[in-house]
Amino acid sequence: MTPTWLRWMPAVAVPAVIAAGVLAGSVPASARDPLPGKTPAQVLAMIGQHTTKALSGTVEQTSELGLPDVPQVGPSSGPAAGSLAELLTGPHSARVYVDGPAKVRIQVMDRMAERDAVRQGNEVWLYNSKDNTATHLTLPGIASGKQDRGSRMPGSVATPEELAARMLEKVDVSTDVAVRGDVEVAGRAAYNLVLTPRSQGTLVESVAVAVDGENGLPLSVEVRARGQQEPAFRTAFSSLKLEAPDAAIFNFTPPPGASVKELALPSSGYAKRDLGQQGRETSGLGKDELGKLENDRKAPAAAGGAPSVTGTGWETVVGFPARANSAAAGAPSVDTLLNDPLLRQATVAVPGGRAISTSLLNVLLTDDGRMFVGSVPLERLQAAAAAR
Amino acid sequence: MTSADRGAGLAIETTGLSKRFGHQLAVNSIDLAVPQGSVFGFLGPNGSGKTTTIRMMLGLAAATAGSVRLLGQDMPGKLDEVLPQVGALVEGPAFYPFLSGAANLHRFDAADRHASPGTRRARVAEALDRVGLSHAARKKVRAYSLGMKQRLGIANALLSRRELLILDEPTNGLDPQGTREVRSLVRSLAADGATVFVSSHLLAEVEQICTHAAIMSVGRLVAQGPLAELRQAGTAQLRLITPDAGAASGVLVRFGMTPVIGHPDGADAVITSVLPGSAGALSPNGSRNPGGAGGTGGTGERDAAAALEAAPEAIVAALVADGVRVRGFAVERGSLEDRFVALTGEGFDVAQ
Amino acid sequence: MSRSDQVSEHGSRTAKESGREGSVPRQRASSRSFLASELKQLFRRGRTQALLLALAAIPVMIAVVVRLSTAVPPGRGPAFLDRITQNGLFVGVTALIVAVPLFLPLTIGVVAGDTIAGEAGHGTLRYLLVAPAGRVRLLLVKYVGAVAFCVAAPLAVALAGAGIGAALFPVGPVTLLSGDVVQPGEALNRMLLIAAYQTVSLLGLSAIGLFLSTLTDVPVGAMAATIVLSVASQVLDQLPQLEWLHPWLFSHYWFGFADLLRQPIGWDSFTSNAMLQAGYIAVFGALAYGRFVSKDVLS
Ligand SMILES: Nc1ncnc2c1ncn2[C@@H]1O[C@H](COP(=O)(O)OP(=O)(O)O)[C@@H](O)[C@H]1O
Ligand SMILES: [Mg+2]
Repeated sequence: MTPTWLRWMPAVAVPAVIAAGVLAGSVPASARDPLPGKTPAQVLAMIGQHTTKALSGTVEQTSELGLPDVPQVGPSSGPAAGSLAELLTGPHSARVYVDGPAKVRIQVMDRMAERDAVRQGNEVWLYNSKDNTATHLTLPGIASGKQDRGSRMPGSVATPEELAARMLEKVDVSTDVAVRGDVEVAGRAAYNLVLTPRSQGTLVESVAVAVDGENGLPLSVEVRARGQQEPAFRTAFSSLKLEAPDAAIFNFTPPPGASVKELALPSSGYAKRDLGQQGRETSGLGKDELGKLENDRKAPAAAGGAPSVTGTGWETVVGFPARANSAAAGAPSVDTLLNDPLLRQATVAVPGGRAISTSLLNVLLTDDGRMFVGSVPLERLQAAAAAR
Repeated sequence: MTSADRGAGLAIETTGLSKRFGHQLAVNSIDLAVPQGSVFGFLGPNGSGKTTTIRMMLGLAAATAGSVRLLGQDMPGKLDEVLPQVGALVEGPAFYPFLSGAANLHRFDAADRHASPGTRRARVAEALDRVGLSHAARKKVRAYSLGMKQRLGIANALLSRRELLILDEPTNGLDPQGTREVRSLVRSLAADGATVFVSSHLLAEVEQICTHAAIMSVGRLVAQGPLAELRQAGTAQLRLITPDAGAASGVLVRFGMTPVIGHPDGADAVITSVLPGSAGALSPNGSRNPGGAGGTGGTGERDAAAALEAAPEAIVAALVADGVRVRGFAVERGSLEDRFVALTGEGFDVAQ
Repeated sequence: MSRSDQVSEHGSRTAKESGREGSVPRQRASSRSFLASELKQLFRRGRTQALLLALAAIPVMIAVVVRLSTAVPPGRGPAFLDRITQNGLFVGVTALIVAVPLFLPLTIGVVAGDTIAGEAGHGTLRYLLVAPAGRVRLLLVKYVGAVAFCVAAPLAVALAGAGIGAALFPVGPVTLLSGDVVQPGEALNRMLLIAAYQTVSLLGLSAIGLFLSTLTDVPVGAMAATIVLSVASQVLDQLPQLEWLHPWLFSHYWFGFADLLRQPIGWDSFTSNAMLQAGYIAVFGALAYGRFVSKDVLS
């Protein structure tokens, strides 16, 4: 009779083999040749010059902003899916299909639901499976140039490229730029471009952008907050194919039974921003808040109460006038924010109003209806509010 | 213990077989030797370790120490080759209550990888017929009586041609009619050449059908051998009623006995003594001893010689010759039952 | 004694009498017949049929309730509930979604927990083993039986759903999560794919149940333990503090079948799920082997 211990061998060996397999899989393939050395400027230039026109891949986004988690229990698609804050909490995954600037489809894969944004030529469809609503809009002119890609897509999770573009706008004297050791993202070797704010007055500790070593495509962006172990925000390709996706993917007709809304764009000057905002409202999508506020800051002043800007670089604080004064459709107002149940839940009472504190961004909603936003400690916002 | 039986002709052979449950030694280093072709009674009070021994023989439980050979092959090492030739009933019958009797047998036969599916139906029908259950074949086992289940359990052991049958308490729960049927079934199996190993706490059953027996007591094997030999090992008792106690004692001592004198009712003394080596000559029971494969060798002759010296008639003659007034004389045969009680120190059905 | 010796020794016996033949193909046929016997016993058993009927009742209940009630507002209740009135095929999908967290694991727990412990409880385990079934072979046959039930259970929900849906509601092209529309045939394919996904999802739990079943002679204990584990795994999967653990929980991808309702079909979660379940099968299969092969059968 075989000794008893021998019979337990498989039970010991199998987990050991699995553990070994997992460890071997998680260690980046060390056999890969290191990428040729490049200066930060060269890597930045790579991003600027990358010519990747077609790709399909999956983007994973995780946030550790300190917002309460959206509970996702049970078979339903979750009560909060589609709320403004929902995309800022927990993990999200989206499939991205791109074939040139005018063919884009982003699918945010929610639990038992999906939010789609499809662009073909000037036609854009937004679809939310949760309530079976479709929104159609026609872009005013043929947009061209890769700069527009992605960032033109109305709301969804941020693709690495989109976010990288936004982050790189910040590269100026206030930022230290370095290239660290190579990283591997979605199975591809990438330069690790790290932006570190020189200022101590911002919540952002560093921003790391993984840049594809072959073609300069940003593969991941990771934002770290001061005093937090986990990245506060990370978006990265988990898989990536650099081939043109099946053309049928970009065809979209609203399904029968869906409630279809036609969205007329206001004058072209506001098209970009409005599109983003409307998309967010109609399909319940939110870009990451950082980006949204960034957009708003850059938007031309709307009629009546323009946002105020204090501070520079990473320490910028943006102030929004009270809703009554703001005719700008796109400006986030105290009301809309407070109407979002998750955000309302996230606010805490502070001297002078209520605040939403996240690890990367603070928002102060003053008692008189103004709003101040910035990647700075709350006291800075309060000071900005008091300065008025 | 008949060491002459050891060797190739053993259907079951255990050496130093032990099983420990926690602190309790349920089976304590037993050396069983079951000759091929024998009907072997495995006797012991409840809880003496019979079923545990059988479980170890069949590879159901691992031995704490010792080894088992079935049909000349190691168990459980050669389990796959041995068990197809072994039919077993272990600790009573057990079936799927939601299946019919026939379906249960089909199931167990299908589990035997050596059983041919082609002949299954016929073999099941035959086994059911053999135990007299054909009429209830389609009935759900849930609706069987205990006796019917017991018969079905035996039928299961008979699904294929077996070299060895191990039946644990096969007559448990059977009516007298069923008990008789099982007995004749066992005899017919033995007549076919199979070795039958029957465990029981019922002596009568063993006495009636077995050629050999072993006796278990609290996990130990206390006696083993051909049934006749076991009976011989039991003592015959001499009982003498006489007023001449002193003279009688003298005579008995001459015959090598150690008489015990008692005066139960005052007048006459009642002398009892173990009759040395006398049993063999008086054994009434050679008829149902086909001898087994191993045979019993020369032990019988030696016993017969010893018995001649202390023959009861010789004792009586000597007593009378010495002027002892023999008012009563009896030789009480030791039964297997006496032997059993003497060895186990208990009556029947005493649970441990 | 070798088999050929035996045959020559008792050469006069007919094949019917001896009931056994030594050739290898015959043994293989017998292994199949043991498996067939296991499957027959499993699916002919009243309890198994009751479990499948209960599963099939889920879509029937959903369909009848939806038929009798006023329109469901979108976004409430289980996903797709609001679509049922427009398209009967959603009944199956909705019922599958409803069945995932509790009903399916419950029935699998009953079947997998019963595998060995049920035999031990009936006392039939000892007779199977002395037949001899072979311990490893018995374990394999029992697991295959449980797998067969894992196939049958989601299929019962899906098919009952498709049937009752077609009976009570119009059937037409189906809108996928991505907003694309597929024809009923393709939709049915997708539903079968979802059923297959759930079959795969339950394989790990079945292996766990098999292992637990080797630990006890009381089938109810093994069943309850299996079901409790399936609930515990889902609860742990919700705790953000245990994020590192989540991808290792066997229930982690249970809801990932939504990817099969997207256009194009996403296979990522199917693959991840299959690999995870394979890991659970390997680990708990090895544990069950270690336990059962050395176990004293005293029932
Ligand atoms: N599973 C078990 N666990 C602990 N002790 C046991 C077990 N089975 C049997 N025993 C003990 O072993 C001894 C022998 O039991 P058993 O072999 O069933 O006796 P028998 O069959 O002779 O009546 C008994 O004292 C019993 O209590
Ligand atoms: Mg017993």
